[in-house]
Amino acid sequence: MESLFEQSSLFLQQLVNGITLGGVYALIAVGYTMVYGVIQLINFAHGEIYMLGAFLAYTMVTVLGLPFFAAFALTLVICAVFGILLDLIAYRPLRNAPRLAALITAIGMSIFLQNLALMIWGSQIKSYPREVLPPVFSKAAWTFGEVSLSWLQVFILSVTVVFMILLHLIIHKTRIGTAMRAVSQDKTTSALMGIGVNRVISFTFAIGSAMGGMAGILVGLYYNAIFPTMGYIAGIKAFAAAVLGGIGSVPGAMLGGGVLGIAEVIGAGYISSEYRDGISYAVMIAVILFKPSGLIGRQIGEKV
Amino acid sequence: MKKILGILCVLVMLSTSAWAESKPIRIPVAAAFTGQLASFGEGIQNGALLKGEEINARGGINGQKVKIVLEDELCDPKEAATVATKLANDPRVSVLVGHLCSSATLAALPIYRDAHLPAISPASTNVSIGKMSPYYFRNVYRDDFQGLFLAKYAHHIKGYEKVAIFHEVNDYSMGLMLAFTKQAKKLGIRILGTEAYTADTTDFKPQLTKFKMMKPDAIFIPGYAPQGTLIVSQARSVGMRNVDFFGADGLDDDLMLKNPDAEGLFVTTPFLPDKAGPQAAGFIKAYEAKYGKVPNWFAANTYDAVGLAAQAIGAVGQDRVKIRDYLASLNSKEKAYEGVAGKTYFDENGDCLKDAFVKKIKDGKWVGAEKQLR
Amino acid sequence: MPRPQEVNRSQVLIIGLVLLALMLPWLPFGASTNYILRVLTTAVLYMILALGLNIVPGFTGLLDLGYVGFYGIGAYTSGLLAIHYDLSLWVILPLAALNGALWGILLGAPTLRLTGDYFAIVTFGFSELVVLVLRNELWLTRGPMGLPGISPPSIFGHPLTRDWEFFYLIVFLLAVVFVVVRRMEDSRLGRAWFAIREDEIAAQCCGVNLIRYKVTAFAISASIGAMGGAFYAKWFKFIHPDMFKFWESILILCLIVFGGMGSIWGTMLGALILIPLTEILRAVLPQSLFSARYLIYGLILVLMMRWRPEGLIPFESAQAEKAKQTQKRLTGLVGKE
Repeated sequence: MESLFEQSSLFLQQLVNGITLGGVYALIAVGYTMVYGVIQLINFAHGEIYMLGAFLAYTMVTVLGLPFFAAFALTLVICAVFGILLDLIAYRPLRNAPRLAALITAIGMSIFLQNLALMIWGSQIKSYPREVLPPVFSKAAWTFGEVSLSWLQVFILSVTVVFMILLHLIIHKTRIGTAMRAVSQDKTTSALMGIGVNRVISFTFAIGSAMGGMAGILVGLYYNAIFPTMGYIAGIKAFAAAVLGGIGSVPGAMLGGGVLGIAEVIGAGYISSEYRDGISYAVMIAVILFKPSGLIGRQIGEKV
Repeated sequence: MKKILGILCVLVMLSTSAWAESKPIRIPVAAAFTGQLASFGEGIQNGALLKGEEINARGGINGQKVKIVLEDELCDPKEAATVATKLANDPRVSVLVGHLCSSATLAALPIYRDAHLPAISPASTNVSIGKMSPYYFRNVYRDDFQGLFLAKYAHHIKGYEKVAIFHEVNDYSMGLMLAFTKQAKKLGIRILGTEAYTADTTDFKPQLTKFKMMKPDAIFIPGYAPQGTLIVSQARSVGMRNVDFFGADGLDDDLMLKNPDAEGLFVTTPFLPDKAGPQAAGFIKAYEAKYGKVPNWFAANTYDAVGLAAQAIGAVGQDRVKIRDYLASLNSKEKAYEGVAGKTYFDENGDCLKDAFVKKIKDGKWVGAEKQLR
Repeated sequence: MPRPQEVNRSQVLIIGLVLLALMLPWLPFGASTNYILRVLTTAVLYMILALGLNIVPGFTGLLDLGYVGFYGIGAYTSGLLAIHYDLSLWVILPLAALNGALWGILLGAPTLRLTGDYFAIVTFGFSELVVLVLRNELWLTRGPMGLPGISPPSIFGHPLTRDWEFFYLIVFLLAVVFVVVRRMEDSRLGRAWFAIREDEIAAQCCGVNLIRYKVTAFAISASIGAMGGAFYAKWFKFIHPDMFKFWESILILCLIVFGGMGSIWGTMLGALILIPLTEILRAVLPQSLFSARYLIYGLILVLMMRWRPEGLIPFESAQAEKAKQTQKRLTGLVGKE
């Protein structure tokens, strides 16, 4: 730890780790932020969809013996359907109920799904078999002194970026995207303008859940560990990322995820690894208190 | 509302006393049989059931059959306290075997003490337990002994000069970390850094990256296997190649064997099949025949703890206080209980002194290390 | 004019319940008496906790996910005071309640300005931070080693050790909390809270100082939670950071949602049913299923919100009853004429 060179390569390496983690947070955060943008609900069960994504792919690979990339694609589809069902069963009936009721339902769903997974898969940590990915993924893609970037990290980051760009295009260049933006501005007026509001909401849930499920698989690969309670902490952190970036904004989620990932890794590496999770909570509370609109979010006023 | 209350009370009562007429002597075994640490519980369960069967095959205790009752507390202090209350208030229970995790033990301990119920733990190694209750015994060594032993082994046998410590934030792990650090400093081992993690983390890369830059000879992981296996893998993936890993009995779990990155890892353990005495041969054979695997230390220690409980009941009958006095009277090498994991005798705190062994992973199997510390 | 009929009914109910509680330890349950008492003590403790939590989501309509944080603060206040200063329970209880209220104000004053969902998430973050601090500040809390060796409470120099003594103590505490909450519900304070719950803007227009009343609610709720924690520490004699995890908040929320959010009788009934039910499940189910019991709690939350958001004993019933009786009297009068 003596030389400046070593110090800076340590920092660079932590930065690389942080950005990878941040990419994953961003993928989960997108689900929160889009749903919140459209129906103003913190979908607490979103973290569980992330967890289910990881487990579904795991089951497909180990039990059904599907090739990894097929399992990957299939998981995205199932998670999307799952998101739609979640909305249909749990949230839609409460659309006009007090917000407290919807929030409690969201928490209830989260707890329910988490324990369902506990019953199905057990509480022990599971790992994807090593063979699922071509061996090249564990090799370094790029090395500079002590700093290295593995192909897996490259894979995670590029998947994140590609899907984010895709999402941005969907929201801003397609009809359904325009409809989503309209619904998030004003549901009633959108309905009057002939937009199928429920269809738009379902679509939002589908996209967000697919991204969440994908994040679950990527994390499972990256850390080699999936377990039923993984969605609980990751979900809250991703929500913190969404708030940090500005809730309702997709680029905001990306930025928030990146910043939070780096803050967490640097904090764990330099300040205190015991308080690592505390860093995200503290960031979240501070942002909510002092700048509730987030880094690049739009101002949200209480609708009267 | 009265009605509901009444029905509830009756239900609770029925659920606890419905089997009151069954005859056999009950020996409860309280540990985590499900949850994250279930693989530890598996050894405990197997060891206890095997001993129970063997006692019954020899005609039971003074003609009465034994029934091993498994009580699952998930290593959660709250659950442990509930289970302890149940056992303490069950007149059919005169001695029990448990618990596994030290925090669970600490929560259950005042309840056993107030109910004068003696308990024998096969696996709680935390230092502070012994002094807290005259009704608590354990047939496993303490963390301070284990940490000291590991430091000596690392210095004398392995010749490490620079070690980093990566511990979990829990009683077990931190007790080991403190004991190891103290002894290591005495022996001149440099502790390059000490980092911590919590049980629900799966990302160890920030701390490992830091360790990597320090270039230690070895990393000491005084935690449990579910995290231990992840740490070892992630250490390799951040590019630590020529670093050894070692841990304590918490890593002594077959989970580690599934991980090819853990090759060469060594741990302390209270029981080593190939170093165990002649009395263990029958146990190992019977265990392998029944469960198809080599017994680990949890199985061996629980096997002994159940044997100890049965011997006490056989000597003084099903009387809580008499059993406690009997166990406390086993206080010297001559009076020791001769078990498969060595002799067990208690000091005035109910603690015991036992040998520790070192085993390591070689070709995906646990084998005794060639060099043991004597 | 008092309404003699109704007053009598609720008085009879209360007196009956108190008598039943006092008799309980002496009923012939045989060997299981102590176990039953222990379960019921837990149930009554959760009745107190539920009454405390109920003030925030039930009375003011804000979701508080960090209640267990105050419970933990109370427990550690009590445990540390007992260990280091050997104070009496009657000094510890108010101090713990005060400490809870203090943290309630510190957290509530800045965050109660937020919209409901942000408030929920901030309280969640707070309770997680409390657990992190309990776990990591070894010099204060001994962290994951837990806090063993807490002395049992004593009354007039007689240390409590038996299960029925603790049961009487917790029933007494419940009575105190019940009276306090009942009085508040019927006071200016309670009316302001209900006004906030029904319509914040309308309440504000009627001159209700939103922040002040919300912070008061939050602080009182926190102090009741802390008091519950203080009892818990003295009763268990060992506390550990793991005992104050997020799950506890969910459990208590589930109790009040099940019983009837906002309704005092409902929240108490919720605890009285669900807590012993958990123990029955523990005896009946294999552990692998039992450890997933939160599945049921989650399901209760979802199903209740969907089909019976007012809970078993709806909050409105008391008022509705009053209204109905007034109606009856009026029609009776009209009929006579």
